[in-house]
Amino acid sequence: MVLMKGRVAIVGYGETPYTRPRAERGQPRLTAEEYASWAMELALSSAGLSKSDFDGQGLGVTGTIYPHAEIWSAEVAQNLGITPKMIIRADQGGAAAASLLIQGALAINAGLVDMFLCIAADAPLSMPTASASGARTWRYENDYMLPFGMMGPNSIFAFIMKRHMHQYGTKREHTGKIAITQRYHASMNPVAYLKAPMTMDEYLSSRVIADPIHLLDCCIPVNGGLAFILASKEKAKQITDKPVYLLGFGECHNYTHGSKNRPDITYLGIVKAAPEAYKMAGIEPKDASFVEIYDDYTIAVLMQLEDLGFCKKGEGGKFVEQTDISIHGQLPVNTHGGQLSAGQAGIGGGCSHIVEAARQLREEAGQRQVKDAKIGVVTAIGGLAYGVNLVHNAVMVFGKEV
Amino acid sequence: MSASSETAEQYWSWTKPEITTLNQPFWDGLRRHELLIQKCKKCGEYQWYARANCIHCGSREVEWVRSSGKGKIYSYTVIHMVIGNSPLFNRELPFAVALVELDEGPRMYAMMTDCELSDVKIDVPVEVVFRDVAPDLTIPMFRPVKSQGASRVF
Repeated sequence: MVLMKGRVAIVGYGETPYTRPRAERGQPRLTAEEYASWAMELALSSAGLSKSDFDGQGLGVTGTIYPHAEIWSAEVAQNLGITPKMIIRADQGGAAAASLLIQGALAINAGLVDMFLCIAADAPLSMPTASASGARTWRYENDYMLPFGMMGPNSIFAFIMKRHMHQYGTKREHTGKIAITQRYHASMNPVAYLKAPMTMDEYLSSRVIADPIHLLDCCIPVNGGLAFILASKEKAKQITDKPVYLLGFGECHNYTHGSKNRPDITYLGIVKAAPEAYKMAGIEPKDASFVEIYDDYTIAVLMQLEDLGFCKKGEGGKFVEQTDISIHGQLPVNTHGGQLSAGQAGIGGGCSHIVEAARQLREEAGQRQVKDAKIGVVTAIGGLAYGVNLVHNAVMVFGKEV
Repeated sequence: MSASSETAEQYWSWTKPEITTLNQPFWDGLRRHELLIQKCKKCGEYQWYARANCIHCGSREVEWVRSSGKGKIYSYTVIHMVIGNSPLFNRELPFAVALVELDEGPRMYAMMTDCELSDVKIDVPVEVVFRDVAPDLTIPMFRPVKSQGASRVF
């Protein structure tokens, strides 16, 4: 077990407003470069640092759907005008920001650098022409899924949700409660894209995309920029009186529950990553004041509640039914509204859960502040696999105190 | 849709895979109406999709073998909207795609055909059928072994 409990802390964060961008509604059409710059400015301001403080430190960069460049971190460093000692670029899709956080923390713990600035910005809706195309996310999708009638992530998650319903009797009313609660949280989040209240009727009758996935089961793609700053425990205390400590983390990639050919697709690698994170942090699920769960689809949240150990596998539906998962309840879930309602800023979307955990633990969440928040559990999943669910899985535990 | 017939043809064309030296035997097999999957010469395990090594034991000694084309439905979806794929698929909406568990072990995504949507259920036994969807492309689909109806897809 790596003993890194409390060695590294988040000392600042930034999150821009999310847009679609619709000119007729006065929403700005910005590029990924502009979002990266804006997110950096917000994070530096939050930490009371300046850009030059990161010369000789670490820079972490997630990829982008648009523009798509293989050598992207070189471009970001040049654009921001930073001279870092080391750069990491993550390609784990939804789990990319979590990977930056973990790798950055490892580099800080090793003594290579004192601080890491991590940027997750993307503008998938700012393609300049109709013929422009975004990043190819999974090659096996082009070759072995699209020619077979599949329709991207919506269809992959439809198989997972259908199987979960079949094995455990999970109902759309269960996933509906997740969607509705997250929309309520988004109504109190100034940067969220979708803020209007949602009813169960609206959820249940929303357009079918790939049955049993309906429109309101899906995250809403947006443009946006996010960033967070990591620092060693010692450095963190110099920077802020509200450091958010990384208490533990765990990862698991390419997990199959059962055989490689015939896995049970209702289990995510979170089931392996969570116990490691809890052990490092010295906590149990019941110690969590809130949980920010990667939410590309409603069913992903329900399955992760099981894999995180808040209930047994298959009992996620019942758990959601019987638990108040709002900021006022026993287990607040996705207190920012998540990607379902606040928005999924392309590859940067998975950073919003980390940023929200930091915000809650610094008591900066305003109207949606969870009372007495002490410990937050955050998950990240990314890279939809062929025939299974998600390749990349990460769990992080953050705390106000070590 | 453009008025140009050339553009229209491209617009209404099947989504083509990238055929490489690695996966070419699979696509060639489909042209002969044979469903090929990979089998490891060392450990005897099967796999799908095309890989350069056995995902079970790591051996690079993997060969293409003919699948029985029989299996059962592990999970499925009914597609109601074409997103990120050829507009051609709009012709058949709504249609079912199944995750078929082949008798040899691997699972494969494929469209369901020759049946009603209500016949598509988890654990239903299915068998492969082949659709020549373009002059140079054949796609495997599946149909229930029993309860076959007239609702042909493509």
